[in-house]
Amino acid sequence: MIETNVFFASIFFGISIILPVLVSISRPIARRISMACAGLGLLALADISLRVMITNSAMTLNLASFYKELSFELLIDRLSAFFILTIILVSLAVLIYSFRYVEHLKKKHGKNIAVSLMNLFIVSMILVVASKNLISFLFLWELMSISSFFLVYFDYEQKTTGKAGMFYIIMTQLSTLFLIASFLLVYSSGNSFEIRQMPQNAPMASVIFILAFLGFGIKAGVIPFHKWLPYAHPAAPSNISALMSGLMIKVAIYGMIRILLTVLPKPLLWWGVLILLFGTLSAVLGVIYALKEHDIKRLLAYHSIENIGIILIGLGLYVIFKASHFEALAFMAIAGSLFHTLNHALFKSLLFLTSGSVVMATETKNIEDMGGLIKNMPATAFLFLIGAVSISALPPFNGFVSEYMIFYVFFNTHVLISPFLKILLVASACILALTSALAAACFVKAFGTIFLGVPRSKHASSAQEASKSMIIGPAIIAILCALLGIFSFQIFSILGFNFPIPNMMYISIVLAGTYLIFFLLLYRASKIRVYETWSCGFPLSNGKTEYTASGFSEPIVTIFRAIYKPKRNSTKEFYDDSNVIVSHGHAEMSLMKFFEEYLYAPVLKAVDFTSGITARLQAGYLDLYIVYVFLGSLALLIAMGVLT
Amino acid sequence: MMPPLALPEINKILLVLILFLAVLIITVKDLLFLNFLYRIQSFFIVLVSLALYAPDRKTSLLAVASITLLSKVIIIPSIIKNAQNKLKIKRDVEFHYLTPISSILVSIAVFFAVYLSFSRLITELPDKTFLITGSLSVSLMFMGMIIIFTRQQTITNIIGFLTIENGVLLFSLFMAELPLIVEVLILLDLVMLIVLASLLAFGIDSNIEEFHKKLQPLSKFLGGQK
Repeated sequence: MIETNVFFASIFFGISIILPVLVSISRPIARRISMACAGLGLLALADISLRVMITNSAMTLNLASFYKELSFELLIDRLSAFFILTIILVSLAVLIYSFRYVEHLKKKHGKNIAVSLMNLFIVSMILVVASKNLISFLFLWELMSISSFFLVYFDYEQKTTGKAGMFYIIMTQLSTLFLIASFLLVYSSGNSFEIRQMPQNAPMASVIFILAFLGFGIKAGVIPFHKWLPYAHPAAPSNISALMSGLMIKVAIYGMIRILLTVLPKPLLWWGVLILLFGTLSAVLGVIYALKEHDIKRLLAYHSIENIGIILIGLGLYVIFKASHFEALAFMAIAGSLFHTLNHALFKSLLFLTSGSVVMATETKNIEDMGGLIKNMPATAFLFLIGAVSISALPPFNGFVSEYMIFYVFFNTHVLISPFLKILLVASACILALTSALAAACFVKAFGTIFLGVPRSKHASSAQEASKSMIIGPAIIAILCALLGIFSFQIFSILGFNFPIPNMMYISIVLAGTYLIFFLLLYRASKIRVYETWSCGFPLSNGKTEYTASGFSEPIVTIFRAIYKPKRNSTKEFYDDSNVIVSHGHAEMSLMKFFEEYLYAPVLKAVDFTSGITARLQAGYLDLYIVYVFLGSLALLIAMGVLT
Repeated sequence: MMPPLALPEINKILLVLILFLAVLIITVKDLLFLNFLYRIQSFFIVLVSLALYAPDRKTSLLAVASITLLSKVIIIPSIIKNAQNKLKIKRDVEFHYLTPISSILVSIAVFFAVYLSFSRLITELPDKTFLITGSLSVSLMFMGMIIIFTRQQTITNIIGFLTIENGVLLFSLFMAELPLIVEVLILLDLVMLIVLASLLAFGIDSNIEEFHKKLQPLSKFLGGQK
């Protein structure tokens, strides 16, 4: 049965990848067949994953064996199945969305290749999380990286896309470099590339953990390795952004969890502290940077960093409580982390897809040029609202439950003995609470500026509602966001977990009742008096008098001025020699790019300096190379003589 | 027939002459004379092979002597001479990195450095002749490199490569089975053949850097600028 499913899935995926490349017709039929095949392949795999999830079993499948350690074997256990299901759910919605979205892409040529690469990207992500050994993991990880790179590079004629693509590929290769080093150490410890528990050797284990954390952290967009995210997401088409932000960075989280659960199951306490610190930093800085953003896709990219931070906080708590021998709390922490992984995959892809529809309708990514879209795009606005409420962790949606689980573990900090840990965890909990509040504020800004008020540009006023498939795809995810929140207690019970979380079904009924009463009151009130809001004496309410995103976030930006460090540059030229009468001048304000200026730039400078020296050695003259060979051989000979 | 005791002495004299010829190759500017010197050097290697063949009658040594005579004394110098006749430049007057005198001094220093290293590295040898011949042949390789990087003209560079090859051949004559050395020899032959072939095909009349310019028009076949 499993083999049959895998066989059919392979056939469907094969067609979905190859067909659009082979058929060079510009009509959408080939692309649609390809996407349909990918969807069928996903459904075939969903059956296996669901069975594994419910029965808590594991299954292996040997695809190909080349040499002792070089084999492509799949292992689907509960952890893999969870991630595969996450990938399947989001990918199905993205495929439905892409049915029409791809046809709207401005580039006439390359749509077929984009579809083929998208399907390859989805398949590679599934295979990464199902890899049984580190060699196939690495191979598929690279396949995932390269296919996503070409998708980011889709609109390569744009200058910003070129920069984003290069930034992304450099960072992703750096990530692979750390992973290779880590996996080689795993091999040297146990003489096997199998993903299994390595012999307990404390110093080596710590090195493996650090290297793996760096490798997966870069890919996940953990601060300070996050800079590729805000560049890559706005550059990529929105369906790809949804896959990258919703899924690809979760594959990195899977890698981290797999290393912690399977390879290094006895973690050290300081690993947890390290993960918690990076997680807290990513969460709070991610949302603070998001607040100042007006590019909708970049804003969402920063929120991905924030949510990766929240997932890492859960993971850090798992390690801390596991190392302190509080197994139940550790389990709850990792469950919260995993649930937030699923939730973020859902609501972030929902937000990216709906924002893609908005960007397509308004032809701008700048939210300042939007406004009033709820009138022309009500379905998209409603779906975006669900995503915004979910990401803001408001009940009864899924984001609330997963964050509640992490907070619950925080509330049990008192069981720890170390005062340092207690202070650290309480501080981290407070920062997480601040993060949640800021996220809510940010999405009030985003939703209000995009959908409410009056249009601020010609394109915004003439925007059209997205086509059906671009509504159905996100709608599936929106329903899942609601269901996973409302029935979270029941879902955990079915899977055999009894976590101390509230039964959201009752809370939902109470909330729904409250909303209903509020709505009825409002409806009654609206019957009494309908009148235009007083607009400070202005004759007409227009875009220029609207409350802007900058205006909304200004108080918060002022509070966090120390982090943004705004720079003001102004130059003046004068008519007279005494510099009294100004002829003309130039003034600009920019925010400091802290990590780029203080981390990336010095590293690049050092690399540039080293490259400069190397370039001088590499002059391109044969004679010079012979001199090197001459000196090198002579030095080697003399060294051998001296050392003997 | 020559008494067996005289053979090592003859070999020593021949080796010194080979080294002396390499010194001359480093300094000589006339390209035709350079080719002639190379021919003589190769001929001396043939004589060394024959001197080694005389006592033991190993057919492999006779084969080496025959092939060397055919390829390095007759064929390769003739090809070089043919190429030289087609070129306008007859002298290689420019030196860089090292002047002729400093090249000779560096060669002497290299010989002593190699000799001292070998005396520490190779301790179990039947007699000291192996140490001297080993040092001489390795020094010859280094001198070949000096010829390449101090001179500009392609012909001189080819002679430099061939001198390295002579050093390798000499080394393999005195030492036992050396498959790696043979591989290096083949590789050098290949490099030299490519350079010679390109020299004849594209008419490189000055130095190897010209090669790139000559090949530039062909880049359109690889999708380069037209």
